Amino acid sequence: MQNKSLKLSLKSYLNFADLLGSYRGDHESNRTFALKHDDLPPSAVDRLLLWAHEHRFKVTSSPEIDLFLHRFSMATSFLVFFSLFMGVLVGIGLLSYSGDAPVNVIYFFAMTLILPLLSMLLSLISMISRGEMANFITHLFPLYWLERLIEHLPDQAQGIIDRLPASVSKWIFLERLQRFSLFFSIGILLALMGMVVVKDIAFGWSSTLNITAEEFHALLSFIAMPWESWIPSAVPSLELVELSHYFRLGEKLESEMIQNADKLGAWWKFLAMSTLVYAVILRFIFWMVVRFNYQKALEKSLLVLEGVSQLLREFDKPFVSTNAPSQEKHLDIVEETEAQVTEEAGHYHDVILGWNFSPDEIRLANDTTKIIAPMIHTVGGSHTFEEDEEIASGVSRHVLLYVKSWEPPTMDFVDFLEILIENPKVETIEIYPLGTAGRYYESEPREVAVWKRKIQGLNTTKVWVIDAKEQK
Amino acid sequence: MQKSRNKDKEVNRYPKFAVVGHPNKGKSSIVSSLALDDSVQIGDTPGTTQVKRGFPLKVDGKIVYELFDTPGFQRARRVLSWLKSQEPVSADRRGELIRAFIEEHRDNEKFHDEIELLEPIANGAGIIYVVDASKPYGPEYEVEMEILRWTGQPSMAILNLIGEEDYREQWKRALGHYFRLVRTFNPVRATFEDHMSLLESMAQLKEEWTKPIKVAIGVLNELHQQKVEQSVDAIVQTMKKSLGYVYTKPIPAQGISPQEESKAKQRYQAQIVTYERDLEEQIELIWNHRSIEKVENLLVFEDIGLFSKESASIFGLGQRELIITAASAGAMGGLGLDLMLGGGSLFLGSIIGGAVGGVGAMVGFDNLYEVKILGQKVGKRELTIGPMQNLNFPYILLGRALYHASVIAKRSHALRDEVKWEDEAQYTEQILDAKTRRGLEKLHARLRRGEEPTPEEIKAYRAIVLESFERLLSH
Repeated sequence: MQNKSLKLSLKSYLNFADLLGSYRGDHESNRTFALKHDDLPPSAVDRLLLWAHEHRFKVTSSPEIDLFLHRFSMATSFLVFFSLFMGVLVGIGLLSYSGDAPVNVIYFFAMTLILPLLSMLLSLISMISRGEMANFITHLFPLYWLERLIEHLPDQAQGIIDRLPASVSKWIFLERLQRFSLFFSIGILLALMGMVVVKDIAFGWSSTLNITAEEFHALLSFIAMPWESWIPSAVPSLELVELSHYFRLGEKLESEMIQNADKLGAWWKFLAMSTLVYAVILRFIFWMVVRFNYQKALEKSLLVLEGVSQLLREFDKPFVSTNAPSQEKHLDIVEETEAQVTEEAGHYHDVILGWNFSPDEIRLANDTTKIIAPMIHTVGGSHTFEEDEEIASGVSRHVLLYVKSWEPPTMDFVDFLEILIENPKVETIEIYPLGTAGRYYESEPREVAVWKRKIQGLNTTKVWVIDAKEQK
Repeated sequence: MQKSRNKDKEVNRYPKFAVVGHPNKGKSSIVSSLALDDSVQIGDTPGTTQVKRGFPLKVDGKIVYELFDTPGFQRARRVLSWLKSQEPVSADRRGELIRAFIEEHRDNEKFHDEIELLEPIANGAGIIYVVDASKPYGPEYEVEMEILRWTGQPSMAILNLIGEEDYREQWKRALGHYFRLVRTFNPVRATFEDHMSLLESMAQLKEEWTKPIKVAIGVLNELHQQKVEQSVDAIVQTMKKSLGYVYTKPIPAQGISPQEESKAKQRYQAQIVTYERDLEEQIELIWNHRSIEKVENLLVFEDIGLFSKESASIFGLGQRELIITAASAGAMGGLGLDLMLGGGSLFLGSIIGGAVGGVGAMVGFDNLYEVKILGQKVGKRELTIGPMQNLNFPYILLGRALYHASVIAKRSHALRDEVKWEDEAQYTEQILDAKTRRGLEKLHARLRRGEEPTPEEIKAYRAIVLESFERLLSH
C-alpha cells in the first residue's frame, strides 16, 4: 500500500540520483528487497522509487537538493502570481477606454489569440525537436533569460541544475512556460470580466490593412467555431462587425457608432470565449500534455541513470552465492631456514628405510644415489603402524630415510619419525626426498622446501634433510 | 521433536560433496575453482586446510548443493587399523563404524583432520577423492581409499595434474577398483565448460542428486551469462564516461601559462586512468576475484595528441549560439514591425533586426565577459581538454577493457600467481576488426562531438561490445 503513495517528481528524481551515487546495495540485498515485497509494482520506476524509499536513510539528505527545490518552488510560485498579476495588468491596459476611441479588439486578439498560439507553436516545435533546435527555440523565450539570470545569483545550487539531463531541463522549462502563460491568460480573462462589470466598454476594430467587414466577420466566425453551436450569442454578427469598424480619420465613429453604442458592448462575450478557449483551455490542455511528457522524460532519465539497469537486474535475477559463509582462518606459513639441511648424503649408512617405497624401488634409488647400507627396510605404505614401530625401535647409528619428495610429510610419518628420534641407538637420521623415477629421482626445490620446513618444526638436531639440488 | 526431524530432513535433502584426499593434492584448488571463490587458502605447505569448510551453492538463500573442503588424511593407517580392530560387521553396517570412530575420537587431537574430513561423509556427503596424477601411484593411497569405501557413500575420483608428468593411466587402473567414476580436472586450467562437465559427472553419483545438480548447472550457466552482461555494461559505461570526459579549468584574467596547460592535460589523463582502474576493479568484483595480484599495465598517452582549447560563454551560450539567438531575437522583433506595417516594409524589419542582433552579439561577445549582474560575471572563459579527439584512442581503451575482462573472466579461482598481461594490442586487433569498428564508430563520433548518445545508440554499441566479449571468451 505504501508504494502507491510514491510518485516520481523532480524531488524524488534528485534524491534517487543522490542515493544511487553513494549507495547501490549489492545483489544479495537488492534481491532480498525484491523478494520481501510480494506486491512489488510491475513498473520499473515504481520499483526503484520503493527501493529508494526504503533506503532513504542510507544517505543524509543533500542540503543542495533541498535548497534548489526550495528556490525552484519559490521562484515558480512567485512567477505564477507574477504572471497572473501581469495578465490582469495587461488586460486592464488593453481594455482601457478613454471614451475618445473604442477598444480595438485586434489588440486584444494579439494578446489572447495570436501570442498564445505563437508561443504554443514554438513550444510544440521545441517539444518535438531535439538537441540544438530545441535549445535554440528555448532561447527565444524571455523566461529562459530570466532563468539564466537566476542561475547566476550568488550562492545558488548550480550543481543541481547541472545534474539534470538536458531532456528533463527542456520539459521543466516547457512545463513552467505553459503554467505561467496559463496564469497570464487567466489574468487577462479576469481583467476582461472585471472591466466588463465595472465599465461600459465600447469595442471596435480598426486596421491599416484593407480588410472588409465581411472578411473580418469570416475570420471571427472561424475563430468562434468551437463554441458557435452552444453559445451563438458569443459569435459577433456581420452587422456588429460592420457597426464596430472604425477609422482613425473617418466620421463613421461619431455618427453610426455613437447611435449603436449599446450594441458595441456585445463583443465582450466573443472576447471572453476566445480568451477562455484559445488562451486558457487550449493552454491548459497544452500544459497537461507537457506535464505528461515531462513525467515521461523524468522516468526515462531515471531509467538511464548509471547503476539503474544493474539495480533492476538484481531485483529480477536470483541471487546466487557460491562462497563459504565463514572466513577461513589463514595458516601462517613458517619461513624456511637452512638449519638441519645438508647438501650431501654420505655414501654409507647403517640402515636405509624407504617410506612408502617398495624394496625394488629402494634398490633402484640406491643405484642412482650410489648409497649403500647393510640393512634396507620398507616402512609406511601397506605396513601396519605396529610393524613400522618395531623397525624404528630396532635400527641404530646412521639412518637414511628415503621419502617421496612430492608427498608431503603426514602426521603418520611424523609419528614414525618421532619413534626413530626417541631411539637412543640412532645417532643421525638423514631424510632424502627423492623425485620420481621418471625424473631420475631429482626432486623439485619447492617439494624439498616442504620437507625442510616440517623437519625444522620438529626442533631436533638428530634429523637432517638432504637437499641434493644444493649439492649441484 | 517432529519439527526438528523434518528440519534435519530438509538439511539433508540437497546433495553434499566432500573433497578429500592426501595432503597437498589440490583439494582446496578444486573447491576454489568449483566454488568460484579465490579466498580459499592454497599452498605448498601440507595442512593449509585445518578445518572443513562448506561452500554452498545458494539460489536466493536456498542451498542447491554444498561442497566441503577438508584437511588431508594424516593418520589414515591408524584409522583403518581402528576400524578393522572392531567387531567384524557386514558391509551395510560399516558406515556406522565410521560414525562410531568419529564419536569416540572427537576430542582426540591426533585424529582432528580425519574427523574433519570424515564427518561430512558420515552426514551423507558424496566423496570426491583427489589425487595428483602427475605423480606415480603408490599403495599407501589404498589405506585412504579403503577407509572411504567403508563409509559406503557414492564416490568419484578426480585426477588433478599438478605437475608436468602424466601417470593418469596408472592411477585409473588403481582407482577403478574403488571409485564409480574417475575424471580428469585441472582446477588451474579448467574452463567454465570443464566445470560444468565435472558437475554433470557429480550428478551421476546418486540418482536423487541428478535433478538438483542439473538445476545447479542451469543456475551457474545463468550466473555466467549475468556476469558477462554485467561486464559489458560496466565497459560501455566506462567508455561513455572516458570518451565524453571534458576537463575544464577557469582561465584567470592574466591568461594561462604553458605549465598550467600541461598540468591540466595531466589531470585529464589521470582521470581517464582512474576510470580504467575503477572498471578493472568492477570487473574483478563481478567475477569474484577479490584477492587478485597483477602487474601494473598503465594506459600510455604518449602517441595520443591531446588538444586543449579555450572556450567562452555568456549565460552558458557559446559565441555561435549567442549569435544565432541574438540574430533570431532581432529578426523576431523586426518581424513584429513588418507585421505592424502590413508587409509594406518588404520584411526589411526582420532582415535589419536579424543583422543587428547577430553582428551585435559577434562584436560584443568579447566585451561581455566582464559585465556583472548582481555581483556575478555573466561570462566565463575556460580551458577545456576533451572529449578525446584521437580516432584510435577509443579502440585502444575498449581493447584494453575487453582484454582485461576476458583474462579475468577466464581466470580460474584456483590460481594464486600474479596476472601477467600479454600485448593486448595484437589481441585487440583480432577482435576489434574493421567491421566491428565501423559499428562502434557512430557512438565514438558522437562522444567526440561532446554529444549525449541516445539510448538506441548505446544499445547498438552494447550489442557489438557483447559480441566481441563473447568472441574473446571463446578464444
